[in-house]
Amino acid sequence: MKDINLTPEMAKLRPLLGEVVSTLESKAPYGAVSLSSRETRTFLVDNSQEQVIEGDPTAGGILTVFDGHTLREKVLSGFDKSALQQGAKDLIKDVSFSKNGKIDTGSDLKVDYKTGMEQDPTQVPTNEKLDYLREMNRRLNSIDSRIVNARVRYTEMREKTIFRNRSADMSQDIQRIRLVIIVTVKGKKGVVFDWVSKEGTAGMEILSFTDQELETVVKNAIKLLEADRIEPGEYNVVSAPGVSGVICHESFGHGVETDMFLKERAKAAIYLDRRVGSELVNIYDDPSYPGAYGSYYFDDEGYPATSTQIVKDGIFIRGLTDLYSATVLDIPRSPNGRRQDLTRKVYPRMTNTYFGVGETPLDELLGRVDQGIFLSKVSSGMEDPKGWGIQVTCHYGFEIKNGKLTEKMYAPIGLTGYVPDVLGSISGVSSDFHLHGGTCGKGTKEYLPVTDGGPHLLMKARLG
Amino acid sequence: MLEKIQKTLTKNPELKSWNVSHVTINGSQQYDLEKTTEAVRQVTSEHYKIDVLCDSLDGEGKPSSGVGTVTLLPGGEISEAIEQAVLTAKLVHNEPYDFPEPASMPVVELVDQQLVQDPSGSLKEVLALLKDSANLLADVRLTTAECFGEEKITHLVSSKGIDAVQNSTQIYLQWVFIAGEGEDEVESFAEIYRRRISDLLLEDEVKRRAQYTTDLLQAQPPPSRTGPVFVQGATLANIVSGEVLGGSLIQVLSSASLKYSEETPWDLRKSIFRGDVKGDPLNVWANRQLPFGMHSSVFDTEGLPAQRVALIQDNKLEGFIASQRFAHYLNLPATGDFGNMELPAGNTPSAVLSEDPHIEIAEFSWFNPNPFSGDFASEIRLGYVVDGQERIPFKGGMLLGNLLDALADVTWASETGYYGNYLGPVAARFNHLQVAGE
Repeated sequence: MKDINLTPEMAKLRPLLGEVVSTLESKAPYGAVSLSSRETRTFLVDNSQEQVIEGDPTAGGILTVFDGHTLREKVLSGFDKSALQQGAKDLIKDVSFSKNGKIDTGSDLKVDYKTGMEQDPTQVPTNEKLDYLREMNRRLNSIDSRIVNARVRYTEMREKTIFRNRSADMSQDIQRIRLVIIVTVKGKKGVVFDWVSKEGTAGMEILSFTDQELETVVKNAIKLLEADRIEPGEYNVVSAPGVSGVICHESFGHGVETDMFLKERAKAAIYLDRRVGSELVNIYDDPSYPGAYGSYYFDDEGYPATSTQIVKDGIFIRGLTDLYSATVLDIPRSPNGRRQDLTRKVYPRMTNTYFGVGETPLDELLGRVDQGIFLSKVSSGMEDPKGWGIQVTCHYGFEIKNGKLTEKMYAPIGLTGYVPDVLGSISGVSSDFHLHGGTCGKGTKEYLPVTDGGPHLLMKARLG
Repeated sequence: MLEKIQKTLTKNPELKSWNVSHVTINGSQQYDLEKTTEAVRQVTSEHYKIDVLCDSLDGEGKPSSGVGTVTLLPGGEISEAIEQAVLTAKLVHNEPYDFPEPASMPVVELVDQQLVQDPSGSLKEVLALLKDSANLLADVRLTTAECFGEEKITHLVSSKGIDAVQNSTQIYLQWVFIAGEGEDEVESFAEIYRRRISDLLLEDEVKRRAQYTTDLLQAQPPPSRTGPVFVQGATLANIVSGEVLGGSLIQVLSSASLKYSEETPWDLRKSIFRGDVKGDPLNVWANRQLPFGMHSSVFDTEGLPAQRVALIQDNKLEGFIASQRFAHYLNLPATGDFGNMELPAGNTPSAVLSEDPHIEIAEFSWFNPNPFSGDFASEIRLGYVVDGQERIPFKGGMLLGNLLDALADVTWASETGYYGNYLGPVAARFNHLQVAGE
């Protein structure tokens, strides 16, 4: 096995991890150890400043023991051999374990993974990255004199992990990158802004923007200066993939993270094998989606990445699990055990969550709407797993008239409703597909990179 | 290791200025379900964050300053890390500026001694009190609780002569109440951040949350109307000063960096509102000295001492919140980080504010106004239609409006309260907002 993906400190400790697991399992029914290093760098260029910001890195070992009842962890900063060995002894000291339920210890894979990249950010000098952002800033400012600021923010996150339990010995080196452009313009209504981003588990090769993409973000920012508020009411709606994605993220994403079942917070728990949407609704979560921003090779508990279908033809068929929830609920594991970083516990979390595609071309979908709204750009969403309310805030949308998009823009637009009503009203699913990257929290914490998306959807929804 | 870093930095002739923060965190976490403990965790972390400031020439040959940052774990390679930071600093080009000079540091209370002395024991006590309080309630069940406690020590040293230490603690508590049965079950999700355990006011908060939960069982569809909207407690604090760990519209628009980039419309000694003020005048302090405030500190990351800044007085902007750099650019006093928001008491008792027929918003799904314009369209998680003695709960619908317009037409309560990042009136009546229901 080659330690091609690891820091030297992590590679040096790796051969000892089996012994640490044995120490943990000398008392506990299940033991595991992870070594984790996460580093973030952000580069910002705008009209008035330049910055290179290093995020607080986390690096160290996580010792885990589990008896099917309570999960105990000790987190050690840094990679010190004796601290790790002593930490394992301390973690099981004075604790009585009793085996409860069947613990699925996962795969016996012994493999190393690394994000495939044409242009590895670590091999690109800082001056080249800054020059790239400066050029992007210059291109944006040349488009329209009403631009007050053009922020170009590039972030690279490197996550290196070794996971070891009694059967698995795996490592992964994940490179996530994201470039966000925010254009602010000033007019009679004050300062307004629009943005566009590209992101993925990939190298810098995915970060190019065409002139048309830059002109579109500037054009929409300027249009926001004249946008009206929408009259509250129920509308025929076509959602862009970004909006579709947030709808599935907030409806059958958060609500089927099965820690919510244990906490009795999820209405979905009593809807297993029941209809929750129209027959056109299929929802998936897939951390193995190639190159997506929320992708990885195995989760933070060593479970190999694969696709999970959550809703099939409108029927809710299964939720997303981590080791704890799968064991206690006695349901199959899925590769969704994720932690923000080593300072945080694992929860069942989404990765790349999306609606499955349909067969209808977008033009045909729009053609079915005499009068309605095209929800173009999403800004945020909020879940309500128990009440199945949904809130999606759209930065803007456009009028649909006689089956065609008009230039009439509304902003902002809030979409609310009862999840089964919204999903049940879906009467058209387009054949195109896009994923959009972002950050997802649980409450106001536990932030993780994710994507959501899918096709365009035709539905009825309450807007305001 | 801090001394070694200082020595290495001092010897480097390429540096204009530098500062180093040595940060250590010790934390405990406990996660409980209704009848079991799901997880317990002990977390320690330690790092050294080094900022170096270098002067160089930009692409057009003009003098510029740039910062390079690097973070080291204990035992890390110091010289190599500093070289990397210097390389970055010389590639970043901004108008010249310098790091802050030393200044007298105020005393700001940030530490809960109980939490420091026995972190995991303290968490157990908090969770036991939560469970005991919940057990007294007949109509709701506590199904989960998470409690985190941590102590953070920051030692900041700079080339300008700053050498200061600050200790702080933080406690986080989350829980869920469930009421009802089967498909009719409802939940209420509570999340509180404070610096000390006694500020959780747990027994009162448990009662309030339990009432919300049982009211959700009776909730009607939302009404549609425009008129007075009454908001109180943490929900009011959220509207005015944002989420406890986040920022607010006022914080964004009073930022000197946004003034420098010409993105805020606000000017000194001019009204922050775009129209006439119909309600009580707005007065705001940005207060980093607030005892046990979640955004309080003795010094910020640059080393600027905590201040209580008179930000908005009688609706007019009296200052910008400026880091050392933007203060230098705009010839303003350097304030450091924003801190917490403080508003004075109003003139009207809360009971009077809620006398006339109105809508009360108890909780939003998420109140997140546009960060520049203040426009919002936020789903209502729980509200009440109040008319005389009648108080009918409802769920759903949206509150629509603009936050600045709402603050220009508000009546503040005469009682004050503290909610983590906000000290001010406990209630307010926004006189003209739209609720979009069914």
